Amino acid sequence: MLRNDADSWGAPAKFFHWVMAALILAQIALGVTAASWRVSPTKIELFFWHKSTGVLILALVALRLLWRLANPAPALPSGMAAWERAAARLSHLLLYLLMIALPVTGWIVNSASNIPFRIFWLIPLPAIVAPDKSTADLFALVHGGLAAALAVVLVAHIGAALRHHFVKRNTVLTRMLPGAWRTP
Amino acid sequence: MENAVREVLAMLGLCALALGSAQGADWKMDPAGSRLEFIATFEKTPAPGVFKEFDARLRFDPEKPAGGSLDVTVKVTSADMNIPDVNKEIRGKDWFDYAGFPHAEFRSTDLRRTEGNRYVARGTLSLKGMKQPVEVPFTWTASAGGATMEGELTVKRGAFGIGAGEWAATDVIGADVKVKFTVKLRKAG
Repeated sequence: MLRNDADSWGAPAKFFHWVMAALILAQIALGVTAASWRVSPTKIELFFWHKSTGVLILALVALRLLWRLANPAPALPSGMAAWERAAARLSHLLLYLLMIALPVTGWIVNSASNIPFRIFWLIPLPAIVAPDKSTADLFALVHGGLAAALAVVLVAHIGAALRHHFVKRNTVLTRMLPGAWRTP
Repeated sequence: MENAVREVLAMLGLCALALGSAQGADWKMDPAGSRLEFIATFEKTPAPGVFKEFDARLRFDPEKPAGGSLDVTVKVTSADMNIPDVNKEIRGKDWFDYAGFPHAEFRSTDLRRTEGNRYVARGTLSLKGMKQPVEVPFTWTASAGGATMEGELTVKRGAFGIGAGEWAATDVIGADVKVKFTVKLRKAG
C-alpha cells in the first residue's frame, strides 16, 4: 500500500516519518553535543556530522512535503474536540516549519561563518549568505532557539500520540507503525 | 706588448662577466602584486588562507641561476584564514604560536633551471622554530619593468609542529598544506 487512504498511512509516509524521527533525534543530540564541546578535532567531527545530517533532513523534508501534498493525510478520529483538532493541525504545521527552518538557519550559520564544508565529504555546500561574523552569531542564536522550540513541539507530538493510544484508545499511533508491528 | 694588454683586458672582461652572471641581478619584491597563500584542508575540504605580509629578496639571473640566492621572510602573525574563530585559534601554541615564532624564513643558495622558464630553489624553511629542507619550484616570467615568480609546493604541517597535541591527527585537519605564491619583482638599484 503506497498511497495514504482515509484511515491509514501508506508505506512512503511511514518511511518518511520514522527515518526522519530517528535522524531528528540524532541531530538534536549531535547539535547539543557539538555546540557544548571544547574546541578540538572531536568538536569539528561532531559539527561535520551535524551539518551533513542537517542537509539530509532538508532534502528528505522537501520530498516528504511533496508526498504529503500529493497524498491527503488520513482523517482524524471522530469525537475529537475542536481544540484537539486545532492543536493537532498547529503542531503538525509547526513540525514541518521547524524541519525546514532548522536546516536553513544552520546553513546560514555555516555560510556566514565561512567554514569550508562538504556534505558527507562529497558535495560542497554553496554559501547562501556572505561571510559575516555578526550574521553567524545572530543565526546561531536563532538556530538554537528554534531547536528548543522543536524539542517542545516534539514532546507535545509524542505525548499526544501516546495519549491517543493509551487514553483515547484509538488508532492514531498504530496506523503510523510499520506493517509488521501493527496490532491486528 | 699591445697583444699582451689586449689579452689582459679580455681576461678581465671575461672575469667581470663571469662574476656578474654568477651573482645575477638583485631583485626586490613589489608587495602590491605579490601574494602568498596557504591551503590547508578541513574535513577533506580546502581551507585557504594568506600571509598578508611577507618579503622576498632575490639575486638571480634566469640564464645562469647557479650562484643566485633567494631569501623570503614571512610575517606569520599576518596569517588570515578569513574565519574569525579559526584566526583566533591559529595564534595559539598548538598552531603558529604567534608569541613564540612571529616570523618564518626560507633561504636558498641553490637555484637551478629544470627546463625552459621553470626553476627550483632548494633551501631551508624555518618555521615555528624548526628547520626543514624544502624545494620550491617556480616559473620565471620577465615583463616590462621586472619579472614574476610563481609556483606552488606542498609542505607537511607536522614537520613544523603546526597542529600540536590532539591536532597532530590528520583525519580532521589534513597533513598536507599547499603553498602558492606569486611574487612581482623589480630590479633593485
